[in-house]
Amino acid sequence: MSAEASGRACPRCEVSVEGDWSTCPLCQSALTGRAITSPFPAVPLTFSRRRVFRVLFLMSLALVLASLLVQLFFERDDADLGAWRFVWLGVATMWLVVIMAIQKRHNLAKGTVYLVAIVSLLCTYWDYLTGWNGWALTYVVPILCASAMIAVLITVRLMRMAVGDHILYSGLTAVMGLVPIVFLTLGWVYEPLPAAICGVLSLITLILLQLARGGQVRHELSKRLHM
Amino acid sequence: MTRPAWVRLDNASNIFLAARSDADPKVFRIFAELNHEVDRGLLQDAVDEVYDQYPLYHAVLRRGVFWHYLQDSDLRPAVIGEELHTCAPLYQPHRRNLLFRVLYHRRRINLEIFHALSDGTGALWFLRDVVDAYLRRRHGHARLETTTPPTGLSLTMDSFAEYFRHPAEGTSGERWLESDHEDENPGDPTTNRRSTRSVYRVRGTRTPDHRTRLVELTLSGSELARQAKAEGVSLTMLLIALFFESVRLASGGLGRARTMSVSVPVNLRQFFPSTSARNFFATVRLEHTYGEGADDLASIARGLERRFAAKASSSALESRVRRFVRFERMPLLRIVPRPFKDGLLRLINWANNRGLTVAISNLGRVTLPEGADPHVGRMGFHVSAVRPQFCAMSHGDQMTLSFTSPFLETDHVREFAQMLTQRGLDVSVAAVRASEGELAEASLDGLREVGA
Ligand SMILES: [Zn+2]
Repeated sequence: MSAEASGRACPRCEVSVEGDWSTCPLCQSALTGRAITSPFPAVPLTFSRRRVFRVLFLMSLALVLASLLVQLFFERDDADLGAWRFVWLGVATMWLVVIMAIQKRHNLAKGTVYLVAIVSLLCTYWDYLTGWNGWALTYVVPILCASAMIAVLITVRLMRMAVGDHILYSGLTAVMGLVPIVFLTLGWVYEPLPAAICGVLSLITLILLQLARGGQVRHELSKRLHM
Repeated sequence: MTRPAWVRLDNASNIFLAARSDADPKVFRIFAELNHEVDRGLLQDAVDEVYDQYPLYHAVLRRGVFWHYLQDSDLRPAVIGEELHTCAPLYQPHRRNLLFRVLYHRRRINLEIFHALSDGTGALWFLRDVVDAYLRRRHGHARLETTTPPTGLSLTMDSFAEYFRHPAEGTSGERWLESDHEDENPGDPTTNRRSTRSVYRVRGTRTPDHRTRLVELTLSGSELARQAKAEGVSLTMLLIALFFESVRLASGGLGRARTMSVSVPVNLRQFFPSTSARNFFATVRLEHTYGEGADDLASIARGLERRFAAKASSSALESRVRRFVRFERMPLLRIVPRPFKDGLLRLINWANNRGLTVAISNLGRVTLPEGADPHVGRMGFHVSAVRPQFCAMSHGDQMTLSFTSPFLETDHVREFAQMLTQRGLDVSVAAVRASEGELAEASLDGLREVGA
């Protein structure tokens, strides 16, 4: 049967393709020739993971933002609602972490950067809501940044990621690690040690990156920043 | 009223139950493509006729306290048009439904089976009889003697138990193994020894709704067999070497995981005179490490072949299967409740999966009853898969290679197809639409909502 009717042809793979594909199902080149019927029906999707995740993500984001707004305007002085607010923020943060981990699973280093940024901002805001004790800037942000640097290093080794994909984000986590030093110099923290450790760690990471992969970093940067 | 007959699952089937997941429901499909569009009414009649001859296929799966078991049912199969993707789930723990389905679409008759019921060889007997019964109705050719002995089709026949249950004394199994069959495709199960090298595993984007990504390549089986012969290797080993190479080319660099490994099922019926339509196979694990010696196709295939043959001693095969059966029948294990056993089997399966890059299965060249043969073109089979896999089957000169995978990416199939065309073969590609973009192109009326 394949002999009598060969279907469309892919110029790149040099194969004939059954069914009414406009591009080659293997290499996406444009096909030439007349279509023949496919031996398979096109079965509609029963659901789509991508859409489910997108909806969940947007919903969580909207919920978190709404809750933050509500708390900012109405609940700042309400001591009774304080504990409830902590739980709610914790749950929302956890959701964000989970969904982001799934969404960004193809580039974990990138996901980690987003994660550190969002969790840091949330905690800082949380700190602000609870009377601005400075615990977020003193402890949470430096610890998060330092953990993220280590996590990215481990991830890169475990996942056999392509150099180009992770190098920028590894660098970015290291640069983020310098931010607590800024807090330190501005006097926003009451305990200097976490920020100092985080800063030193990121300096070491940056120097190592520059020594080992300097050329690649410059190549990636020029590639991505190219207009 | 007589009580329904029941039988415990054999050890291979229990693994399938434990390893079943949303992405890999452990279902496989065998199909025959006719030279005309299938007539649903005739097909239903044919299925009814053959169904009556196969008591095994009447079985439903039940969950006992200690093991799963198959139980006779009085359900009847209804032929359906193909409205599900290939290898869609069949067994659902709380529903008592048949463990197979017959589907048709245009020229194809498809038989899908939950793997705990039967293996490819057993399923092929059923499909062959269905196709023959259908074509007899359509063309009126006379019925030839059945292709399968009737004893194997009963519910109770378990060849694992028959050949491997009793230790020490010379069982029929041992007697057969001692006669040392000169087989061209012997199996070796001693390959489960883990290598310390890092095994390459394919990763990718999962399909949007757990469907199996399927691409079929059709080509001249005799021409590829001729090329394999010219290179001094068996067709299966050449296919594995091509598969390794295509995965390597599609990987964009193996990194430190330079070992490719494959799981190959071996039909035990070639060693033991079993006519059971139930599962009766063992799997062999083969591997090749790139960067340690010759990496050209012929060398890889020859290396695999050497390993396959060297480990293919019948005693190794027997001791492995016997170990399995003994394990399953351990007094201590027998009294452990089923959920724990399932958990244990899942763990074993997970550990096995970690050491595998791909899987292949070659059912070889199929012959049909004389009257039916000229009306049938391509035949082939696919399996649901947790990793890239391909299945090969030939009918006449047409060989169908079915690539299945849980991932959307088809890069390895592209490399495979391009290697075949570079070898001068004419390749025809048939692919199932799986991504949202591909389905949108087929101008469908969009996405059905979650749960629809
Ligand atoms: Zn192509």
